[in-house]
Amino acid sequence: MRPTLLQGHERALTQIKYNRDGDIIFSTAKDQHICAWFSHNGERLGTYHGHQGAIWTVDVDPTSTLIASGAADNTVRLWDIKSGKCLKVWEFNTAVKRVEFNEDGSQLLAVTEKRMGFLGTIVVLDINLDPNAEQSDEKVMTITCEEGKATVAGWSYMSKYIIAGHEDGTVSQYDGKSGEQIDNVPVHDVDTPITDLQWSADRTYFITAGKDKTAKLINARDLEILKTYVADTPLNSASITPKKDFVILGGGQAAMDVTTTSTRQGKFEARFYHKIFEEEIGRVRGHFGPLNTVAVDPTGKGYASGGEDGYVRVHQFDKGYFDFTYEVERQARAQGQM
Amino acid sequence: EDADRGASADLAVVEHRRRLLMEWLAWREEIEHDVAEERQELGMPLDPLEGLIKKTATEADGEEEVIEIE
Repeated sequence: MRPTLLQGHERALTQIKYNRDGDIIFSTAKDQHICAWFSHNGERLGTYHGHQGAIWTVDVDPTSTLIASGAADNTVRLWDIKSGKCLKVWEFNTAVKRVEFNEDGSQLLAVTEKRMGFLGTIVVLDINLDPNAEQSDEKVMTITCEEGKATVAGWSYMSKYIIAGHEDGTVSQYDGKSGEQIDNVPVHDVDTPITDLQWSADRTYFITAGKDKTAKLINARDLEILKTYVADTPLNSASITPKKDFVILGGGQAAMDVTTTSTRQGKFEARFYHKIFEEEIGRVRGHFGPLNTVAVDPTGKGYASGGEDGYVRVHQFDKGYFDFTYEVERQARAQGQM
Repeated sequence: EDADRGASADLAVVEHRRRLLMEWLAWREEIEHDVAEERQELGMPLDPLEGLIKKTATEADGEEEVIEIE
C-alpha cells in the first residue's frame, strides 16, 4: 500500500472523516484549523478558520454540503464546504469532543465535556442542509450523563438510537427522539475510557476502541457484543471497512507513558483484523507517534490515519488487499452464500 | 502466501471459521430484513439518502463540482 502524506497540520491530529463519495478527507487537529484534502493525490483543497482552541472533532453531512466541528473553545461550528464560510456557531459551557450527523443529515449531535460545575452532555441540533438557510439556535434535546461522562457518541440506523461510549468503559443506548436511556452495558474494562465509536455503512452495528487494548463490534439494536479484537497497546480509534470484512485499529502509547515495558516502544501501527474471525491479518507502519484516528473511505478504496506526530497518512488499498480471502470465504462465495 | 493461509490451517480451525461466517451471514440477513421492514412501516425510504442526493446531480457531475472548490 503506497501512502500519501498530508502535510499541513502543525499539531496532533484528533479526527479524520471521509465524505460519502470518498474523494475528500476532512481532518482536525490541536492546531485550530480544519483541513480538507483530495484523497486521491493528497492536495489540500481548503482550510476552515474560526475556532479559538484545539479542534477535537469533525463530521461531513451525507450530501457533502456542510461540515460540523467541535472544539476546546466550547463551540460547535457549521461550515459551507465549498465557500469555506462559517454558517453557524453554537455555544456550550464546556469543550465539544465529538459531533456526528445522523443518516440523512437532518440532525447533529454534540458530546460536551464534563468539568467543574458541568456534567457531560449529548446535545442534539436541527440542521438545514441548504447553506443559504438560517440555522436554528435551539438545542432540541439534551441528554445529561449523570454517571460516566460520554466520550464519543453517534446515531444508529433510522436515527432510532443515540449510542454513546463512556469514560467508564460502558456503552449506552438512548432513544433518538426522547433521549431516554434504554440501556447501559459494560463493554470495555471497568473505568477504561472508550476512545472511538464508528458505524457500519448501514448503522446497524458499530465498533468501539478502548484504552483497555481491545476493540468491540456491537449490535446497535441490543448492544450485544458481536466480536472482540485484542491488541497489545491502548487503542484510540477503530474503523470498519466496506467491501472487505476487515476492521482497522489505531493506537499506541506515547513514549513518555511507556515506563513499565521493555518491549518495542509505542507500536505506532495501524492493525488490520478480520471482522468476522477476529484474527489479526496485518499491520501498517509509518507514524512516529500514536495513531489518534483512523478512517476508512466509504467506497472501500483506502483508509487514512492521523497521528500524534501531526501527519495524516492516506493509503490506497492494492490488489493484494482485495484478493486476500480465507478459504471458507472463497467456498461460501462459490456456493452463492455471500 | 497470505491468501492461502486458510488452506494450511487444520480442519478444526477451518470448521470454526466456517461456523463464524455462517452465523454472521445469517445475522446480517435477519437484521437487513428487519430494518427494511421497520423503515417501510414508518414510511421511511429504504435508502436514507433518497431525495437528498439529487441536488448534486449525477455521480460524475458531483465529482467535477467538488473539484472547483477554492
